[in-house]
Amino acid sequence: MYTLIVYDVEEKKVAKVNKFLKTYLNWVQNSVFEGELTDAQLNRIISWIKAHLDLEIDSVMIYTARSEKWLSKKIIGVEKNSTNNIL
Amino acid sequence: MKRSIYVNTNGRLSRKDNTIYLESETYGKKPIPVNNIQEIFLFGEVDLNTKAINFLAQNNITLHVFNYYGYYTGSFYPREHLPSGFLLVKQVEKYKDNEERLKVAKEFINSASHNILKNVKYYSNRKEGLDEYVKKIEAERENIKDVKNINELMGIEGRIRNIYYSAFEIIIDGKYDFKNRTMNPPDNPINAMISFGNSMMYSSVLSEIYNTQLNPTISYLHEPGERRFSLSLDISEIFKPIIIDRIIFTLINQRMIREEHFDQDLSMCYLNDKGRLIFEKEFDEKLKTIIKHPKLNKSVSYKRLIRLECYKLIKHIIDEEEYEGLKMWW
Repeated sequence: MYTLIVYDVEEKKVAKVNKFLKTYLNWVQNSVFEGELTDAQLNRIISWIKAHLDLEIDSVMIYTARSEKWLSKKIIGVEKNSTNNIL
Repeated sequence: MKRSIYVNTNGRLSRKDNTIYLESETYGKKPIPVNNIQEIFLFGEVDLNTKAINFLAQNNITLHVFNYYGYYTGSFYPREHLPSGFLLVKQVEKYKDNEERLKVAKEFINSASHNILKNVKYYSNRKEGLDEYVKKIEAERENIKDVKNINELMGIEGRIRNIYYSAFEIIIDGKYDFKNRTMNPPDNPINAMISFGNSMMYSSVLSEIYNTQLNPTISYLHEPGERRFSLSLDISEIFKPIIIDRIIFTLINQRMIREEHFDQDLSMCYLNDKGRLIFEKEFDEKLKTIIKHPKLNKSVSYKRLIRLECYKLIKHIIDEEEYEGLKMWW
C-alpha cells in the first residue's frame, strides 16, 4: 500500500526516527516520508515506533492509500526530494 | 512490490545510516530506501566500495552494470540466499536427459512463438499486409512438436524470428528502416532498441531467478555456457515479445522516441542518455502493469509473471507439474 508517515517527536529522537524510516521510505521533507510498503513492512515500522518512542509525548501519523493512484499530490514550490526510481 | 532503481547519473553509491545513498551532482546526497530495492541498474559512471557491496549482498539486491553504450557488462549476483542442493541435482538431471531437456526447450520456444504470433495478430487487425506473416509463423510453429534435437529447434526459432522481424517495418509504418537484426554493434535505431531492451530483460529475469531456488547457469534451450547465466536467456525468450517488443512498438508508433534520441555513427547506433531514460521509464511502467491471472484468480504484475514462470519451472523440475510456458491470454 502507498504510505505517508509524518512525525513530531522529541528533538533528541528526531535523527533516530529519520534514520530508521529512511531504510523503508522516501524522505520527501523534514519528518515526512512516503512510499510503497507491504503489510508486513508497515507492521515492522509500527512495532519499531512503539518500542523506541515515548508514546506519552511523541506523535507519529501514518496515512495509507491502497495505491499511489488513489492519492493526489500537488507540489507548490520546490520538490525537495523526488520519489522517482529512475535517477 | 520492491522497486528497481535505475541510476543514470554519475556519482557514488555508498552505505550510510543503514541504507544506500546516491551522491551525485544532480541529486546531492539522496537516500534510497534499501528495504524497497530489488535490483539496481547502473548506467552512469558510479563508484562503489566493498562496504556498499557487502550491504547490497546482505539485502539480497542484485546489481546490473551497463557500459557507456548501454551494453550489458555483468551483474553482481550476491551469494545465493535460497540455495537448494536437491533442486540443483534435479535441474541437472533434467538437462542430462536429452528427451527431458528437449521437452522443456520446446515449451520455451512454443510459448515464445505464441507470444510473437499474438503481437503480429494484434497489429494485423489494424494494419494491412500482416496476414501473410501470421500464416508463415503459424506454419513454422507446426514444426516445433516434431523436432528431434536442440539444433533443429534453434533453427525454427531463428526462422520464426526472421519472419517476425521482417514484419516490424509494417508494424511501425516504415518510420525507420529495419531489414534484419544486427548486433555487435547494432546499426539502426530498431536494432539499438532491441539490443538494449533484451539486455534489460535478461537482467530483470536474472534478478527474479535470484529470488528462487533455481540455479541460473543450468539452462535447457541455450547451451549452459561458462561465465554466463544462461537460464535467464531461456526465460527471457518468453518475455521478450510481451515486454520489449511491445515497448518498442509503442515508443515508435506514439512518437515518444525520435531520431534525436539516438547516437548514430557510420555503422553503429545507440540510444543516447535521453533515449535511454525514455526507454527505462516505459520498461519500468510495463513491468508494473497489472493484469488478472485466470488461474490464480488475482491481479498480478508483469514482473510477478516472470517469477511465476520460475516457480512453474521448479514444479516441473521436481516432477510435480508439467511445465507449460506463459502464453499471452490477453
